[in-house]
Formats: sequence, C-alpha cells, structure tokens
Amino acid sequence: MQQVLNGIFAGSIYALFAIGFTLVFGVLDRLNLAHAAVFTTSAYVGIELVADLGLSIWLAIPAVLVMGAVLGLVIERVAFRPLKGRHDAHFAGLISSIAVGGMFLALLQARYGPDTRRFPADAFPSTDFELGGVRITLLQLVILGVSLGLMLGLAYLVNRTRLGRGMRAVAENPHAAAVLGVNVDRVTATTFAISSALGAVAGVLLAFYVNSAQMTMGFNIELKGLAVIIVGGMGSLKGAMIGGIALGLAEVFAVQYVGSSWRDVVAFGLLFGILLLRPQGLFGARQVREV
Amino acid sequence: MSDPLLSVQGLCVSYGRVQAVRDVSFEAAQGSLVALVGANGAGKTSVLNAVAGLLRPRQGKVVFDGTDVTRWPAHRLVDAGLVQVPEGREVLATMTIQENLQLGGWHRRSTADASIDEMYERFPVLAERRDLPAGALSGGEQQMLAIARALVAQPRLLLLDEPSMGLAPRVVDEVFRVIEEIRQSGTTVVLVEQNARRALRAADVGYVLETGSLAHSGPGHELLTDERVIAAYLGID
Repeated sequence: MQQVLNGIFAGSIYALFAIGFTLVFGVLDRLNLAHAAVFTTSAYVGIELVADLGLSIWLAIPAVLVMGAVLGLVIERVAFRPLKGRHDAHFAGLISSIAVGGMFLALLQARYGPDTRRFPADAFPSTDFELGGVRITLLQLVILGVSLGLMLGLAYLVNRTRLGRGMRAVAENPHAAAVLGVNVDRVTATTFAISSALGAVAGVLLAFYVNSAQMTMGFNIELKGLAVIIVGGMGSLKGAMIGGIALGLAEVFAVQYVGSSWRDVVAFGLLFGILLLRPQGLFGARQVREV
Repeated sequence: MSDPLLSVQGLCVSYGRVQAVRDVSFEAAQGSLVALVGANGAGKTSVLNAVAGLLRPRQGKVVFDGTDVTRWPAHRLVDAGLVQVPEGREVLATMTIQENLQLGGWHRRSTADASIDEMYERFPVLAERRDLPAGALSGGEQQMLAIARALVAQPRLLLLDEPSMGLAPRVVDEVFRVIEEIRQSGTTVVLVEQNARRALRAADVGYVLETGSLAHSGPGHELLTDERVIAAYLGID
C-alpha cells in the first residue's frame, strides 16, 4: 500500500508534466521540446525563491506557475511563430524548440552552476499522517493535490469554457476557427502559456519530492513524458493523466519486486507492451487531424 | 444615395507568380444581395477570402462601412460584422452543434445565447440534435449549421461561398429560401456561386468573373437575359 501511494505521488508529477506536453500537441499539432527545460528551470528557480529569498513553498508554487506561463509565451514567440506557414513547420519547430530549451539550460548553468541544488533543511513542513500503517507526509499530499487540481482545472477549461472551445476549434480546423472570428495566434500563445505553466509546476513539485534540482532532470522527464503521451494517445489529456500515474506505479513496483537497476526496463517495457496492443494509445483517436 | 456597405476597389490576388484575381472592383449596397458568379477557377473564392481577411491581396482596397479594412485579420472583421460562411461549410465535426453555434458567437459574449436560441427556433433540426457532434449531420444540415453559426455573430455583411455545393436540388431550394430570409431581415449578402442562374435570379446585382477579371455586371435579372452571359455561363434550357 505504501508503494502504491509512492507510485501515485511520483506519477501525478509525471502526469502533470505530460498533460502540458500533450496539450500543445493536441491543439497545435506541434511537439514542444523546450517543455523539459521549463520544468528544469522552474525547479532551480523554485529552490532559489525558497532558499535565497525565504519564500515559503506555498508561494513558490504560484510564482513558478506564472514564470512558466511567461516562458511558454517566449517559446511560442521565438521557436514557433516565426515558422508558421512553412511547409516543414513540424520538423523546424521540433529543432528550434530544442534550441530554445538548450538556451534556457545554458542560462541556468551560468546562474546556478553545474551542481545539484537543494532546499534548506527547514523548508518543508514536518507534518505527517499515519493511516492504517501507511505514512503520508503533508508535502506528498500537497504534491498530489496540486497536480490533480491543476489537471482537473485544465480539463474543465478545455471542455467547458469559451477559451477551451477556441482551443478545440483551433485543434480541429484552424482555418474554420479563423473564419469564425477566433484569434488563432492568441489562442495558440495562450495554449503555450498554459502548457508551460503546468510543466513549471511539475518541475517545482518534483524538486520538492526529491529535495533537489539537477541539470539532467529535464532529460529524464522528457523521455518519460514522451512515452506517457504516446501511450496515453497523442493529444489526449485523459491519456496523459492516466499514463503518467501508471508510469509512476510501474516504476515503484519495478524497484520493489525486480530491483532498482531494472526500473526503466520494466516501466518502459510495460509502455511498449501497451502500444503493441493499442497502437493509437489508450485514449488516442484513430483518426488524425483533418486537413 | 448612401455609401455602399462594402466597396472593393482594384483588388488583385496572387498565389506566388500566379495571378488569380486581376483588378476586380465591386460594391454591395446596404441591404442588397450581390452575386459573384463565374466558372470554376475564375477567382470567386479568392475575392471572397481577400475580403474576409483570410488572404492578403497584392493590391487594391476593401472598404467596409466607410473604413478601410484591407489589412485587417479575419477575427477583427468578424468582430466588426463582416462574417463569412466558407466554402465546404467547415463545421467543426468533432464538436457539438451547440459548441459550433457558441463559437459563432465568439465576439458576442453577452448576446450569443439569445442568438443561439433564435437559431434553434429557425432551424428546428439543429435544436433536436444540439448535443450531437456536427459531423453527424447530413451535408444540407451542415450547411444550415454553417449559416446559423455565422448568423450568431450578428453580421451586417454575410459572405456566402458556394452554399449550394454538393447538395440535392431540394436542399438547394431550402438554402436559397434561407438566404432570401437573411436578406429580408436587412443583412447585406454577397453570394458566390457556381449555380449562376440560381444566384442571379436571387440577386439584386450580379458580377460575372472570368479568369480573374470582371467580365460583366448589372442587375441580376438583366444578366440572366444577357446574350453574352447566357452563351458563356448559363447555357440553354
């Protein structure tokens, strides 16, 4: 039971990362490979806010959310908008977003150096709960609550609000959306902002969870996030959410029953197996975008 | 006489080196129905898309209600009351009928709901299926949805691009009946059609496009009996 919970805590962070990743893909049909750099950036910035500025971790979460949104706007403006209308915009956007991500990481390294950074010892509340032999810390509850809350909020936004309708219209047919009076550029930029805000919160939550930030943390989560959104079905929010939690559980059980060096083999092997059974992913549509 | 609601002056549209529209000028008076007819590839849709802000004209001017709107993007024109029903209807197939209509009211936040209710009264077939995806509708019903969706935007000028394309004759009658109603209600309409006879019969003023240029213009009923127009576009029946 303890292991199941641990898997869910880690998995909810993967899911939060992946849901932002898949949002841009679902709406704009573009993979934003700078997403992981936003994640890493926010982990470092979160630690700086808490360690150097003395902010409480509760305030650090909304602060990096806003920062992530701003980075999302930068990524859209720098890496994607100039390529709009090119025939190779898919591929070009992939490359230019890798470049922007690389620049973010270089700036991070210049500011924080190559070493692992940690939170000060007294940053986290020491409260924890015992429930039927299972120990949960307040911090874990916060991680789970924030990521689930943001994911449900996103689902509400996409399915029930005016902005969400605009996003889905742009996803299905940008030309029709423009004809109807939707400002496609603005909806696009907003989608990037939301996506990166979620990626940023995922970054600071993971920094809380493992009490550290490293330059390489983005590479690990990027691979996991890609795997999760492919398995969940490209562009499916529900798929990213369930896929992320499934990956968290698979990792924990792999460590528990097979051995920690087998963690990635088991976890990715499982995802691979799912794809063999359902090539379009768990919640993927068979039909691809209409042209 | 008052100024026309829409005035297009010397419009040129190019795709790369290919010039699709050459020096086209036309007007639509307040409350009138203007038809743009011509063969496939004559440039009708290019003219309409340039007016609607969906493509940039190489030269020329589009004046809407006294304002030069030539370089305005589509969303701004919709907000100003210039709304297009695109060729091929372009309903959002995976979204519900209700959501399609709500998108039509993108710029009409406070009054959209009332307009949507009005559309449901006018098109009961849409009301019955409001929670179904628009892709579940037949071609004719999708055309009605596309028109209703544009009307939710409360246009002063409605651009209709080939509304009868691919529809059964009975449904075409229905579409033209709706267009007539829209004009009756005071909305100015610019209609692009390959079904030239039908369009000219409905129109106050007609313009005939020929390989990107204006060939003839005049009152709709006069063009219908114009020997040159008959020879080129209407055939003999």
